[in-house]
Amino acid sequence: MLRFNYNKPAKELTCYFTGRLDTIASFNLSDELYAKLNTLRGTDDPVVMLSDKISFDMTEVNYIASSFIRICVTVAKQVPRGHLSIVNCDPFLKKTFKIAGLDEILIVS
Amino acid sequence: MAESLTEKADHIIGKAIFAAAEFQQFDQEQTDRIVEAVYKAGLKARITLAKQAVDETGMGIWEHKMWKNVIATQLVYESIRDVKTVGVISSDPVTGITEIAQPLGPIFAVTPVTNPTSTAMFKILICLKTRNPIIISSHRGAAKCTGEAVRICYEAALAAGAPEDCIQIIPSGSRDFTQLVMAHPQIALILATGGTGLVKAAYSSGNPAIGVGPGNVPVFIDDSADIPFAVSGIIASKTFDNGTICASEQAIVVEEKTEQKVREEFERQQCYFLTPEEITKVEKIAISAETMSMSPFIVGQSVAVIAQKAGITVPEGTKILLAKLDGVGKDYPLSHEILAPILAFYSAKDHNAAINLCIDLNYLGGIGHSAGIYANDEKTIMKFSLLINAGRIVVNTPTSQGAVGGTFNLLPPSLTLGCGTGGKNITTENITAKHLINVQRVCRRRINHKFADADQKVYFNEECDESVLTKEYHKNH
Repeated sequence: MLRFNYNKPAKELTCYFTGRLDTIASFNLSDELYAKLNTLRGTDDPVVMLSDKISFDMTEVNYIASSFIRICVTVAKQVPRGHLSIVNCDPFLKKTFKIAGLDEILIVS
Repeated sequence: MAESLTEKADHIIGKAIFAAAEFQQFDQEQTDRIVEAVYKAGLKARITLAKQAVDETGMGIWEHKMWKNVIATQLVYESIRDVKTVGVISSDPVTGITEIAQPLGPIFAVTPVTNPTSTAMFKILICLKTRNPIIISSHRGAAKCTGEAVRICYEAALAAGAPEDCIQIIPSGSRDFTQLVMAHPQIALILATGGTGLVKAAYSSGNPAIGVGPGNVPVFIDDSADIPFAVSGIIASKTFDNGTICASEQAIVVEEKTEQKVREEFERQQCYFLTPEEITKVEKIAISAETMSMSPFIVGQSVAVIAQKAGITVPEGTKILLAKLDGVGKDYPLSHEILAPILAFYSAKDHNAAINLCIDLNYLGGIGHSAGIYANDEKTIMKFSLLINAGRIVVNTPTSQGAVGGTFNLLPPSLTLGCGTGGKNITTENITAKHLINVQRVCRRRINHKFADADQKVYFNEECDESVLTKEYHKNH
């Protein structure tokens, strides 16, 4: 469902998601994701901005629920503009992000 | 004492109301006779009007504007000639429903500088076919040629028995007056073709509107496409009237594996790829850095004129300037809509990345408008079509001519292309006569026996759930 790869010298975290990210799956992975982000920032206060770059790799994702889109927005607010990228989207997901209007606050490719 | 703007508007619309009152008495035969006369007069004037439009606006190519005039008159006429638009237009004895077409009333039509005479004649024909008087407001840069097109059509209409004042034109140049007419309570519908501001004004007027604004047409050349054929189609479309049709190609997207072949084919067919330095120079003259909208000074200009304005040298006879870009959006000004022979060019790492780029381009000001694909693989065509938000996805066809319809496909020929809700329109269809009638439905009694014979008691019993109600509704009587 979710695995991480952290490139320490580059301060880049890649999150690899897999499968169908429906409401339940999104809920289940959110704790793990937020915990990882808290570890990186050294505090569980989400107001403290992360300086790391974060990528959500969607290569193996075939569906996203609105709750996953909310997770993207939450994470986008915790990093400087342009530091969160959603990468390797299937065009079906790309369109979903476009309709949600997220291309204004993060990079989707 | 001089008339105030309100009095002027009341006067013009008052005349249109009287024309509407008279017009609604006409039968189909009388109506069709008027439409035929106007189409013939417009077609006869195709060359004069095309030359006048180019002389006045300084945009485009007269031979191509002549073709636009032909599409707007002959092809539009052929497409609406046999359509019933008066009285009973359909009757189904089984359903008991009879449909009656009624005119809408005075229609306020705004015409653009890029296609002035053709759009005016097109709108006049579809309004007359539906017995609606039309009041035209032309772009101030095309007031004379539009006025001439209106005069020709009006004289022909009157000679064929049309009501006085069924076609009027208001003086161009006064935005306040245009907005006053738009918002007049006796205007039945606004047909606005033009820039974003104009279309927004039409929708904000409080009257029903069909407003068609900008596009940003992506074209994907799939590796299954016939590349020389695709390139020649794109050139034929993007050079047509120097790119002034809003459905003209704006960006070409290919996969890395076909990039070289496509580039070579464009170069072989006399197109020029700009260097990064030249891209910067062209950006400056083509797109406003503040608004990211195209400069009116390059709209409908030839490559030679654009190159001269940008201060670059390109081979003589160059048909299109191509700019290879790495992204879409405000950091890449040439990724925006430009109604001139300039094309953005993208190379994507794979098939999905190419379609994703098309989605980005589509959402950069062109949602709901048009898109193109060159492919010989039906699966790819359908995948692209399901993902792109466009009213028209034209396949293996020049997008300018393909989206307008009537030549390369069987879409209704139209100079007003609906863009759906993405473009703030009520329809994605090519606008034509059928959109300018109120259809009344006479509904004769046909009892729904499943409902009438169901035991009503079960509906009042709270213990009866959906399955009981479904069974009751579908039981045999």
